[in-house]
Amino acid sequence: MAADTLTADILGSEASEGAGVPGAPETAGALTADRARPSRRAARLRLLLTPAAVCAVLAALYAWVSAQDLDSIEQRSLNPSVILTKAAEHLEMTLAATALVVVIAIPLGIVASRSRNRIATPVILTAANLGQAVPCIGLLVLCTFLMGVGFQTALVGLVAYSVLPVLRNTMVGVQQVDPALVEAARGMGMTRGQVLRRVELRLAVPAILAGLRTALVLTVGVATLGAFVAAGGFGELIINGLKLNRMPVTVVGGVLTACIAFLIDWLGALAENVLRPRGL
Amino acid sequence: MNFSEYVVSRWDTLSLAAAEHVLAVAIAIGVAALVGIGTGLLVHETPKARNASLALSAAILTVPSLALLTLLIPLTGLGWGSTLVALTAYALLPIIRNTVTGLNGVDATTVEAGRGMGMSRARVLMKVQLPLAWPLILTGVRVSTQMIIGIAAIAAYVDGPGLGTQIFEGLSRLGSVNALNATLAGTLGIVVIAVLFDLFFYAVRQLTVPRGLRVRH
Repeated sequence: MAADTLTADILGSEASEGAGVPGAPETAGALTADRARPSRRAARLRLLLTPAAVCAVLAALYAWVSAQDLDSIEQRSLNPSVILTKAAEHLEMTLAATALVVVIAIPLGIVASRSRNRIATPVILTAANLGQAVPCIGLLVLCTFLMGVGFQTALVGLVAYSVLPVLRNTMVGVQQVDPALVEAARGMGMTRGQVLRRVELRLAVPAILAGLRTALVLTVGVATLGAFVAAGGFGELIINGLKLNRMPVTVVGGVLTACIAFLIDWLGALAENVLRPRGL
Repeated sequence: MNFSEYVVSRWDTLSLAAAEHVLAVAIAIGVAALVGIGTGLLVHETPKARNASLALSAAILTVPSLALLTLLIPLTGLGWGSTLVALTAYALLPIIRNTVTGLNGVDATTVEAGRGMGMSRARVLMKVQLPLAWPLILTGVRVSTQMIIGIAAIAAYVDGPGLGTQIFEGLSRLGSVNALNATLAGTLGIVVIAVLFDLFFYAVRQLTVPRGLRVRH
């Protein structure tokens, strides 16, 4: 069941498939095996694909906007200072939420993965699955009733939205470490704490990172909804453009958000490559 | 007015919105399942096409939902059109990926045995690989459904159908009497829909997974 969820998990991204999860079925390794075949140079070239594509899109966006005859309403939104402020707000919201998620979800995931807490496993898996269906906008608005509008509200909503998937991936990642390896480490005289730190957590790193990376990308998207509760970000451009019937403003907001999401996903992929234990 | 009174007095509106929500999700997931499983069947043996379709559907999923919905307005207009296109596009990745993983995960000796019995490649695919991969494919469809039920709420902002309208109504009337009730009704209604869809897929799983596979689980 656990392996089923992890491979099936949309959030898992490629890395969670088989990679670093020794317990995962061989079936899942099929995808990664193919991917490893091309030479290093091809892999390095592919690594540059995302930033190149994002740059191309940004250049096209800039050219398109410059070609437009902007009226005064559009000019008020589409100028460097506004866009930079929105970008800063958006990134701040995303990164703060992710940092909080890391602090909350990973320790809880590790606690949940301990064998004496096994009872919690199915509960967490079900809750994480159903939790995905809880609409983030509903969560945000409900938070607004409790704490009013503003940055903090958006932060609470974002954290609540992505805690469960990260917790789930951490738990499943640690649980799927081959019991024989844990046994071997115990046999070598390691204490339980040492086994956790030096064997289980290291081997669970790819699964944990995959979960975090997806949560981060999702958070970029959900952060656009922060504009509904006056927390700023690119969502504000999207919404203002829609309300004032100024399509260029909306398009700029939408495209810039998507570009940030792609770049963060790319950075996540880089981090996964760097942080993955060398043996894997 | 407390929550239960609100639900009772607005039952017509709420049930209509809920029905529209279910309908939008059902149409989107139906189309996505057809397209996704079809794509998976076609590409699972050619690494290039497989990676390309996986990368493309993953890229779609990276685009934030509010951005995609608003960017679709010039193309498909406000309302149902944009909602259905966006939901379908988002649902593709889990389905394609699980189909590909499931089909390729079928034991090579089993495929070989089918070929050895004189089955054609297409017949092996439909009679052996697809049934064996079915549980995983079904899981993919289920995961997609849970995901787009939540995304459908945002579609209300581009005049889409569904319970999201209640949430946005609550937001726009923040501080008024029924604002909290409307938001709660929308959010909880969507959770209820998600649970019902999950039960539905559980039933489908029980009914359609080949008996030989069920025993093993």
